[in-house]
Amino acid sequence: MAEPVIEAKGLGVKFAMNRRRRLSLREMFIHGSKRDPNKGGDFWPLRNVSFEVAKGDCVGIVGKNGTGKSTLLKLIAGVLIPDEGEVTVRGKIAPLLELRAGFSDDLTGRENVNLVGSLHGMTPKMLEEKFQEIVDFAELRSGYIDMPVRHYSSGMKVRLGFALISQLQHPIMLVDEVLAVGDKAFRRKCYDTIEKMLENDRTMVLVSHNEGDLKRFCNRGLYIKDGSLVADTDITSALAAYNADTQAEIEARKKKSGGDGKAA
Amino acid sequence: MASRALAVWQNRQVVNLLVRRELKVKYQKSILGYAWSLLDPLAQAAIYFFVFGVLFNARVAPGGEDAPGGYALFLLSGILPWMWMSTALNDASRALITHAKLITTMKVPREIFPLAVVQTKFIEYLLTWPVLLLFVIVLGGQTGWTLLWLPVAIAVQFVFTLGITLFLASLNVLLRDVQRIVRILNRVLFYSSPIIYPMFQVMESERIPGWFKTLYEMNPLVGIFQMHHAVWFPTEQPTQFILWSTVAGALIMFVIGYLTFRRLETAVLKEL
Repeated sequence: MAEPVIEAKGLGVKFAMNRRRRLSLREMFIHGSKRDPNKGGDFWPLRNVSFEVAKGDCVGIVGKNGTGKSTLLKLIAGVLIPDEGEVTVRGKIAPLLELRAGFSDDLTGRENVNLVGSLHGMTPKMLEEKFQEIVDFAELRSGYIDMPVRHYSSGMKVRLGFALISQLQHPIMLVDEVLAVGDKAFRRKCYDTIEKMLENDRTMVLVSHNEGDLKRFCNRGLYIKDGSLVADTDITSALAAYNADTQAEIEARKKKSGGDGKAA
Repeated sequence: MASRALAVWQNRQVVNLLVRRELKVKYQKSILGYAWSLLDPLAQAAIYFFVFGVLFNARVAPGGEDAPGGYALFLLSGILPWMWMSTALNDASRALITHAKLITTMKVPREIFPLAVVQTKFIEYLLTWPVLLLFVIVLGGQTGWTLLWLPVAIAVQFVFTLGITLFLASLNVLLRDVQRIVRILNRVLFYSSPIIYPMFQVMESERIPGWFKTLYEMNPLVGIFQMHHAVWFPTEQPTQFILWSTVAGALIMFVIGYLTFRRLETAVLKEL
């Protein structure tokens, strides 16, 4: 078997619990270590996660909100550095994380496409050639491309982001919840693009809550629960495990509220 | 470290892009555009000239009153490069925060953002050269072989500024106080370097103890600005001691800045 494209070994990330957004110098010096505002201890949104993704795979990541799915994607993308373990990625990555391609609000759509495109290694010539295609794909109304991205609707941002990222010829694509935002027509277009890309033996990692999307594209599923990987199988079983857990949880909650009701 | 340097080099096109964009935004949004980057240093130079050159009537130009160029040229040849450093320090603390979105979605060598700040300000400094030359012609400034000090000064200043910028950019993400400290630091550095006064006034003063003078000489900024002045005032050429302590100081600052940057990177990425 060929070398896996993505290889994660014992991945773990820790965040400080109760971390105040901004630690100020005063707290650091005056309170010293005794009253450390971060003494809440460490919290591991993700730990001991190991898996391999082969070339041409489409992997769907499922799990509840806040269980570390997006964190995992960020680790693969290399925009977070793991505190434990390592992730090896063989090949360039086209990331679409948290519904955005890294556009900055102050710049116009055109500038953003140029900036992000060249950050991804597109040459000016390539950008020029592809530019119209990107804009057409994103279905931006005329004139919008020269307006700051700040004025875009969230759908427009995602469309432009997807249009740009899908033009990249990178072998690996990371997609986080993007398909949830576009309207029906755009979603269909995305589906076609993704299918075309998968046919070209590209690798994709997808985070989504939409079972239909997942079942349609993915041949593998990773189910993440409370920061650890509990299932690494085909997508149907992963979804089944996820659904079973959700069902159990709902029932437990029902029972609990029922019990409270009786006691009161 | 070598691989990181290579990665930055491979992304030089991106750095250029960031620089060009920054300049474009700056010059597009204001009516005066380019004039602003000149007005600020010129106004400063005018103020210092009025206070020190006229009111205190200080014969402060090195080489006496009759030195070609006089105090006005001395001021300008110090303040223009100073603007490069001080504006870079101001922007340094925001270098990573303003690009937070980009940094959290895409894997790029994070060093390129501080680098882009220093480079942007450097180009703005280069753009002030026509004005400096205008003053040189009007005031009758002279240069010769001492012009060779200029590339040395610029190289050392670039390394030093980049070091500080790396340091501040990463630290400020975790400690937002840094932004405020920079403002004070800026002022302290300004007056502790021979920018608006010639160095001999410190060295010949009897009220300053010897150890302080040595300490003063070791300030890398002293060497940097002496070299900038030396281009027009040959008497200001730095001594061997000052030259080497400046070069060493700049390199040390760069290493400290870079190590801090690397060390804090993990935490910074989580925080952005």
